[in-house]
Amino acid sequence: MKSKTNRFGIFYLSLFFVILYLPILSVVLYSFNASPSTAKWTGFTLDWYRQLFRDRVIGEAFAISIQVAILTAIFSAVLGTAAAMVSLMVTTKMKQTIQRMMLLPLLVPEVALGVSLLIFFNALKLPFGHLTLVLSHSLFCVPYVYIMVLLRLQEIDRSIIESARDLGATKWQAFYTIILPLIMPSIVTSSLLAIAMSLDDVVISTYMSGPTSTTLPVHIFSMMRVGVTPKVNALCTLILVGTFFIIGLNQYISKISKNRGLSK
Amino acid sequence: MKKPLLSLMNINKYYGDFQALKDISFDIYQGEFLTLLGPSGCGKTTLLRCIAGLEEINSGDILLNGQSIKDLAPNKRNINTVFQNYALFPHLNVYDNIAYGPRVKKSMTEEQLKIEVQRVLELVQMIDYEKRMPDQLSGGQRQRIAIARALINQPAILLLDEPLGALDLKLRKHMQTELSQLQKKTGTTFVYVTHDQDEALNMSDRIIVIDQGVIQQLGSPREIYNNPKNLFVTEFIGDRNILEVEVLETGTDATKVKLGQNELTVTNSVESDKIQAGGLGILAVHKDKMQVSCDPQPNSIKAEVVSVHYAGSQIRIDVQVADLSLTVVEYRTACPCKEGDQVYLTWIDGGAILLPLEGQVNQEERGLA
Repeated sequence: MKSKTNRFGIFYLSLFFVILYLPILSVVLYSFNASPSTAKWTGFTLDWYRQLFRDRVIGEAFAISIQVAILTAIFSAVLGTAAAMVSLMVTTKMKQTIQRMMLLPLLVPEVALGVSLLIFFNALKLPFGHLTLVLSHSLFCVPYVYIMVLLRLQEIDRSIIESARDLGATKWQAFYTIILPLIMPSIVTSSLLAIAMSLDDVVISTYMSGPTSTTLPVHIFSMMRVGVTPKVNALCTLILVGTFFIIGLNQYISKISKNRGLSK
Repeated sequence: MKKPLLSLMNINKYYGDFQALKDISFDIYQGEFLTLLGPSGCGKTTLLRCIAGLEEINSGDILLNGQSIKDLAPNKRNINTVFQNYALFPHLNVYDNIAYGPRVKKSMTEEQLKIEVQRVLELVQMIDYEKRMPDQLSGGQRQRIAIARALINQPAILLLDEPLGALDLKLRKHMQTELSQLQKKTGTTFVYVTHDQDEALNMSDRIIVIDQGVIQQLGSPREIYNNPKNLFVTEFIGDRNILEVEVLETGTDATKVKLGQNELTVTNSVESDKIQAGGLGILAVHKDKMQVSCDPQPNSIKAEVVSVHYAGSQIRIDVQVADLSLTVVEYRTACPCKEGDQVYLTWIDGGAILLPLEGQVNQEERGLA
């Protein structure tokens, strides 16, 4: 009886994962298809990748995406960590308020958020480009940094910080020498997440891009208007590889930091 | 007159409406081992944290060598703390943990530091552990590193907050001895917080018993154990039968009291002069200083045996006098009594103390609070 349910469970799970990952796999597969049509498989080729690397517009869009993503990650890391530190010092009620306010941008539909940002930056007369992209991406990246750093901060035994002060450290010394090293893994992993999310964003980036600052996803989106070309498949495959790399790195860092764990 | 190292003057501490410390005043002298003893929640840890500077006091003053330190941040006070859970820095190895204080204060060169770390590691017998991370150490070892980390700063006073609380019984006994030896060897003044009376009696030069944020008694272990000043200390220290008695007649050497049908003469103890004839008093007798006899004895309490328990080396006999229950602990009994027998209870000289009942009133107030 038990083995039967078990077998059913395995079957169900396999089916689930096949359905989940089959589309992703097909993109990878067709990026190597000699035929430009997705209807049939005519042979293996790396042509689409060659074409992709020769495409200057895609190259530029990619460079912009990377720049924006890295700047967003740094900016969100600083803001999110500072916010987490503050909410550790205030009362519980205050902390809950901060937490709710932080999470709100994640719940507002991106389309609405994009429009409001558009109006706001217009009113401020900010030129649309790198700056607006970084600011708007930070809006949805800061909450992630905040949450992940706060979780780690809460794990730190208060007496560890008190003991640093007791042994002679000023508030700043205690922060640099004790708190920062202990929360660093969370800052790094959440920054990686911020990079991934910034690279991935289409909706808000569409509103925020200036004439000379089209990000890669926005560019892909515009390429799709002409139809799915195998070049897009190749590009998506590379993006997938990049994303998996970031996720892997993320897992690896959190594993190391767990091993180095916070002893109780 | 010896000059105090640290003086606490009328310390009051509130958390909102709750008063954690009420008008605490006492002096600490150079080189002594002082223990703050009390049940959990009595304010002893709060007091320790006020001395360390981790909590601010609402009124009163703290003087270290005659200088007020109440407004100084913890890093500006020449006082170090060993925390209950050791609070080692998990990302630093033993060497870096110990070197932390001198490094942030920039009080030593790296060469000096090397020598000093060796010195304190030797003190706590942890040489060769420099490269270990805190999570590779046992509880007792972490404890020693936490002490070494505090001692390297050569504090005027070392505060220890229930440092043995997390260790098992055997290790705790061992560390008690080791801590006392360490204290004598370094000559550092220790202020030790515990709720364990054995620990306090074993290690301290002086004990301060605290309850409800108030100092109940201050004295040497011997004074505290033999002459508790009030009902709280009587109940908290030592294992006593506590009996309410009628006071018949007071005298300079002894007091006559009545317990049920028994008239007893009790040698006066320190607090007995506060007792008045016709009033009520508290007779407190150590359970292991009582004896059970089968035959009538002079100055004895007639009682009925309720139950007899054999616990290895000792025998515990529960008895009843009027509506009061008593327990007698004997190591060998002269009276092979059993349930329902009539017995006569006596106590060895000096085993009983007599207190005025005013403590009882406080006790009831405590119950209501």
